Amino acid sequence: MNQNHEESSKSYPRMMSSGSTMQREAQPPCQVTCPIHQDVRGYIAAIAWGEFSEALELIMETNPLPSVCGMICAHPCETKCRRGEVDQPLSIMALKRFAVGHAYHSRPQNQGEFKQGQKVAIIGSGPSGLTAAHDLAKMGYRVTIFEREDAAGGALRSAIPKYRLPREVLQRDIERIMAFNVNIETNSELGRNLTISGLKNQDYRAILVSTGLPLSRGLRIPGIELDGILLALPFLREVNLNRQKIQSGVKVIVIGGGNVAIDVARAALRLGAGVVHMVCLEAREEMPSFPWEVEAALAEGVQIHCSKGPKSILGRNGQVTGLECMGCTAVFDAEGRFNPSFSEEEVSVIDGDMVIIAIGQAADLSFLKDSGIRLNERGQLFLDTDTLATSEEGIFASGEVATGPGSAVEAMASGRKAALSIARYLTGKPLAMLPPQETELGELSSQIINKIKKLDRQQMPSLTVEERVQNFAQIELGYNRALAIREARRCLSCGLGTEYIEEECSTCLTCVRICPYGVPIITASGSVDIRVDQCQACGICVNECPAKAVTLKQYQDEEVIQRITTTMANASRSGVRPLIVVFWCSFSAYAIENFAEFVRTKRPSNIGILTIPCVTKIGIIHLLKAFELGADKVFIVGCPEEYCPYNESTFWARRKVDRAKKILDDVGVGAEQLEMFNLPSVDIEQFEEVLVKITQPTKQTQPDPLNR
Amino acid sequence: MIVGKQKPLPEIREMIADYGNILILGCGTCTTVCFAGGEREVDILASSLGIAAKLDGKERVISKHTVKRQCEWEFLDGIEEKIRNADAILSLGCGVGVQAIAERFPETPVLPGLDTLFMGMPVEEGIWAERCSGCGNCILDQTGGICPITRCSKGLVNGPCGGYRDGKCEVDPTRDCAWIQIYERLKKMGRLDMLYIPQPLKDHSKGGHPRSITL
Repeated sequence: MNQNHEESSKSYPRMMSSGSTMQREAQPPCQVTCPIHQDVRGYIAAIAWGEFSEALELIMETNPLPSVCGMICAHPCETKCRRGEVDQPLSIMALKRFAVGHAYHSRPQNQGEFKQGQKVAIIGSGPSGLTAAHDLAKMGYRVTIFEREDAAGGALRSAIPKYRLPREVLQRDIERIMAFNVNIETNSELGRNLTISGLKNQDYRAILVSTGLPLSRGLRIPGIELDGILLALPFLREVNLNRQKIQSGVKVIVIGGGNVAIDVARAALRLGAGVVHMVCLEAREEMPSFPWEVEAALAEGVQIHCSKGPKSILGRNGQVTGLECMGCTAVFDAEGRFNPSFSEEEVSVIDGDMVIIAIGQAADLSFLKDSGIRLNERGQLFLDTDTLATSEEGIFASGEVATGPGSAVEAMASGRKAALSIARYLTGKPLAMLPPQETELGELSSQIINKIKKLDRQQMPSLTVEERVQNFAQIELGYNRALAIREARRCLSCGLGTEYIEEECSTCLTCVRICPYGVPIITASGSVDIRVDQCQACGICVNECPAKAVTLKQYQDEEVIQRITTTMANASRSGVRPLIVVFWCSFSAYAIENFAEFVRTKRPSNIGILTIPCVTKIGIIHLLKAFELGADKVFIVGCPEEYCPYNESTFWARRKVDRAKKILDDVGVGAEQLEMFNLPSVDIEQFEEVLVKITQPTKQTQPDPLNR
Repeated sequence: MIVGKQKPLPEIREMIADYGNILILGCGTCTTVCFAGGEREVDILASSLGIAAKLDGKERVISKHTVKRQCEWEFLDGIEEKIRNADAILSLGCGVGVQAIAERFPETPVLPGLDTLFMGMPVEEGIWAERCSGCGNCILDQTGGICPITRCSKGLVNGPCGGYRDGKCEVDPTRDCAWIQIYERLKKMGRLDMLYIPQPLKDHSKGGHPRSITL
């Protein structure tokens, strides 16, 4: 069911981003950067407007693992977010998590159609295999995933600690994928109880190898044979199966500076380690792990020793007692290749009882021995990187086994690419495809950046450091509704602002004069250019343009009028007078926990409520239209100026209200039948009382002016 | 450009009282630019009159359209059918537009929704000021680019008069004295000498009505 609780249903956030016109337009950096090209600005707009189901739908159009990505995505989108140039980038991953948490339905109906009928086998159920399976099943293929463990998820299940990704969340996404008629056979491992030729004999017409990098790389240094030395992936696997124990107070040394090393270190802390040291070759700023993971590890008490290389593992009586390190003067050589240089002069010793090696991972391709699939000189799969086809017809590879180490979302993108190749292969089309043409929006100009209101990024509610290290409970608690909407309204809607209709323009220059950001400019040829890559989508110029030559891509006039009509029709059905229409800013409305519930169940029947993404988007014509359609009273409820993401919103809204009031006086309705309120946040919380108060008849009120 | 202002709604309502089927016709050029008669104003007026009709208990069909320029017949020809179907045209063009419609469609009543005011320019957003009277005898080259015919309350060609105070006009103390402005401008240009040349009497024969141009 749609989560929209307004009486008139609508779908405005999504209509923009998936339309064919938009496909040709420049895309925002968040979308271009996302390996699976999520329509980020579309789903964030939907959240900001209280359309949580719409948001999730948009997310799921291109993302079969929305719950997972809402929690552990590498979110390169945030690095490229243009809000980052103003203050801090949008908290995109957290917003995705919010949308999923608020709108995810229970297990979906079986959705596959089997229209193609051909069988596809996918080896490995990590993010890449799951994505490929989802995409192929949606295309109608009969997909079976073979997973060597006893549960699906690959590295998401075996390597990611639960404090980052609770397993029920992962399971939820997997079940949704299975609902597309994806079959998952667990405890099925190539080379053990499964062979490529066996799969071919079972009429699998295409096979995708997405087995990841399941092997931890070891070290060849003196002392490596001592007791108390573990490899990262087996360690994490045991941790995630609740089988790994660390005696309280034990000193743990983790070798490595990547994300896996951080996971190992933080997991060790939670298991009761007394102290956890991380030793890595890289300097702090060179560390390959995500900066936020390093910050979290430091906050929890992990001691990171940068620019150090392991020299030998020290021991006594066959048991580890510490790590001898030497200084690392450079990680890469002049050609940029990994080739560390060490300084024997800077030797130090770190005491420890246990050493966990997390210096990288490798593929396990032993199962390919008799398959005929070629490997390159470095023992990696010989692949066509454009199509992900192996040397053997009908066999493809995706994810880290194909691309090398990467993030989950990169593996998903690779799975998607492989699914497309497989579909082309199975339909007899040439595998090679033209890369999608995508252009990125230009940069925000510094003049515009200086004019954009600064709005703080909403902090993610989290467990305290003391609480975190006690157990494997998820650290980040997720946004509530108010935080999510407050965060989502920070989105600059890059490229999704105004649409300028040049042939309608009278070149009056109103937009040039009134834009609070200075977006419209006069071109050398004397026409107006409302620069799409600079527009902030506030909508002020739309309603001030005398020629109606500007529209908002997200908020079309006809649709607003249609919503007013529907709202009026519903409210008038009760026959109760006065008939009241309230235009309510969605940024404040849906931040109220029980607003939607109120609108749906407790709203007096003679009151119709329309939410709008800021009062700037209301035109005089919308106010008059409500009266024309039979409203006795119209109210506008806006936010306090300091809460509004846009500049000058109250000024322009008030100006329109004043003009509309004059007209209402002139036609005999009475100016007092239209009022605008800017509710301070404290009143927003008590909106039910506020609504009763503002809709009570006043002395001057002449009820039913249109129905006397 | 030509600047006009929409008539008060009560006046418009009175004007259309006898007609049941009104076409509100906007103009996409000057009156759009001065916020008096563009597509947005057509919408607002149509809605306002719709509400008024409902209040008055009258059945009234209100349709709307905006042409590029009402003062060109070719633009009007494109909507001939709409015009002929209406009982009256409520024009949101300037007086020229109203007359162009009247001339092109002599059998259809045309009502002026605007008062056409002057030729002028926007001095800031939403504020327009008169700058030219169309006198037919331009002397701006000798008055520092400031027109005394239009901007001096008395239209003096050899000003200022003795009535100005602190740079303001005695007729309307909120208004700048045009001749003080002319003086300041000429001073900036280093051409105060021009003030020593008396202007001949204004030839009002060039401003007689109606005028026309034949190229």
